[in-house]
Amino acid sequence: MPLDHRRVPGPEESQSPLLFVPSSAQDGEAPPAQEASRDPTALQPLFARVGLLSQAKGSAYVELDGGTKVLCAVAGPREAAGGGGGGGGEPRGRLVCEFRRAPFSGRGARSRPGEREPELSLALQEALEPAVRLARYPRAQLEVSALVLQDGGSALAAALCAAGLALADAGVELYDLVAACALCRPPSGGEWLLQPREAEERAAAARLTVALLPSLNQVAGLLGSGQGGAPDSWAQALRLALDGCQRLYPLLRQSLLRAAKRAATAEPSEEEDAAEAPAATTGT
Amino acid sequence: MASVVLSEAEKVYIMHGVQEDLRVDGRSCEDYRCAEVETDVVSNTSGSARVKLGHTDILVGVKAEMGTPKLDKPNEGSLEFFVDCSANATPEFEGRGGEELGTEIANTLYRIFNNESSIDLKLLCINPREHCWVLYVDVLLLECGGNLFDAISLAVKAALFNTRIPKVRVLEDEGGREIELSDDPFDCIRLNVDNVPCIVTLSKIGHRHIVDATLQEEACSLASLLISVTSRGALTCMKKMGRGSLDPESIFEMMETGKRVGKLLHSSLQTVLDEEENLGTARKKVGFLG
Repeated sequence: MPLDHRRVPGPEESQSPLLFVPSSAQDGEAPPAQEASRDPTALQPLFARVGLLSQAKGSAYVELDGGTKVLCAVAGPREAAGGGGGGGGEPRGRLVCEFRRAPFSGRGARSRPGEREPELSLALQEALEPAVRLARYPRAQLEVSALVLQDGGSALAAALCAAGLALADAGVELYDLVAACALCRPPSGGEWLLQPREAEERAAAARLTVALLPSLNQVAGLLGSGQGGAPDSWAQALRLALDGCQRLYPLLRQSLLRAAKRAATAEPSEEEDAAEAPAATTGT
Repeated sequence: MASVVLSEAEKVYIMHGVQEDLRVDGRSCEDYRCAEVETDVVSNTSGSARVKLGHTDILVGVKAEMGTPKLDKPNEGSLEFFVDCSANATPEFEGRGGEELGTEIANTLYRIFNNESSIDLKLLCINPREHCWVLYVDVLLLECGGNLFDAISLAVKAALFNTRIPKVRVLEDEGGREIELSDDPFDCIRLNVDNVPCIVTLSKIGHRHIVDATLQEEACSLASLLISVTSRGALTCMKKMGRGSLDPESIFEMMETGKRVGKLLHSSLQTVLDEEENLGTARKKVGFLG
């Protein structure tokens, strides 16, 4: 039977169960002891793997310890579609970015499948454009799609890291890799926390995501909002994020190197030498 | 977005001017163009405003409608933004051409209003969990002459200042509640717009940054920083726009400039709004004939 996906299969009138939780219990939900003990400059352990999709030109997978899992694929360069029939003859290539969440990625009710997030897609595009040498791809179009499989906080930052790696893996000419960090400020005030987890992000009074081109030391992307603070507070957050991005950079480079080594050792073993295969697997 | 095509020589001319702190129209880097603000221009709305900033012309209408509160915020009303890019502004906006820009602006507006302090949404609640006021803020772009975001935020603030929501009373009857509208048309709620932020867009041209860029200047700028500032100088939103990147040091400078310029912008807007308010019925409406 065909299902109407746009209609919520529930009662017409419903209320959030959280409304009926006594306020004291709600406050107790976030263990304050754990928050206090957290080092605000600590990065979550990050796992990155490059070149795991066989059909895409380039791909990357980034996972954070908090549970965020992002898969990113790059297609192209191919001839740009439309664009006024090439009347203008764009000298620069186009970067088309897409940010999607899997329907089961978030906490709570499932989101509508296949819904792209225009704001985050645009943020992705504006942060990646400075990194890509688009002038080398005239009249061409590169497609980057990031898919959040699970959102455990800092999803946009993870997507930016993955997209940078995937572009590098695709052999697209880049000025630099992209490293990105998210931050949030707890509602009680106080210091900004680097790479928040889901619970911290949900409770936060202000959030910020920063993307950096680490070796050029240029800020490629910046998106944040929340409860007002003095510019000094935001400047401090930015400094913290820049430091975090610089610390992420070696990790991202390493995963690229690992993928390149894997590709280099895998090729000869496939063709002739089966004896080399075990060496390749221990190497990874 | 509406854009102009400039030759290299024109770009160099603009960039050299900015370097010397003298822009093509005679302003310095931190000057805004002359802005015209008029409120209460459309009679069918709860509040409206029209802002003309150079060749940028924005009309904002606010309509208050009754709706149900959101599930997670049962005792708050809500604000809804919609931006319509009229084809009058640029032929590019014809059909669905302006949709992308429209959603971008609307998302930015949601972002700068997405905190508890900017507007007291609890004031818009009529009946917790059942009825509240939903303010539909419709932005119409009549003419694009650069610096859309700042002009729109000014117009939105002015329109919210002008908004009058009729007072209603909830009568507890046996077998349900009834909502009664006040008989007096002047009996209404005004919103407190003291904490409503304004957007300041700083465009990086060469080694300097400018505020309130015209279309020509926007064409010379690779990257700009959009920040929203409240009248007290607090930042509520920060966003990088454009295809270039920014040096961290220049971002810090831009934030400081933005705060300074934003505070000034707020105070001058507020004086204009207050002046207009004090004129009362003696005010001469200029409308679209001005």
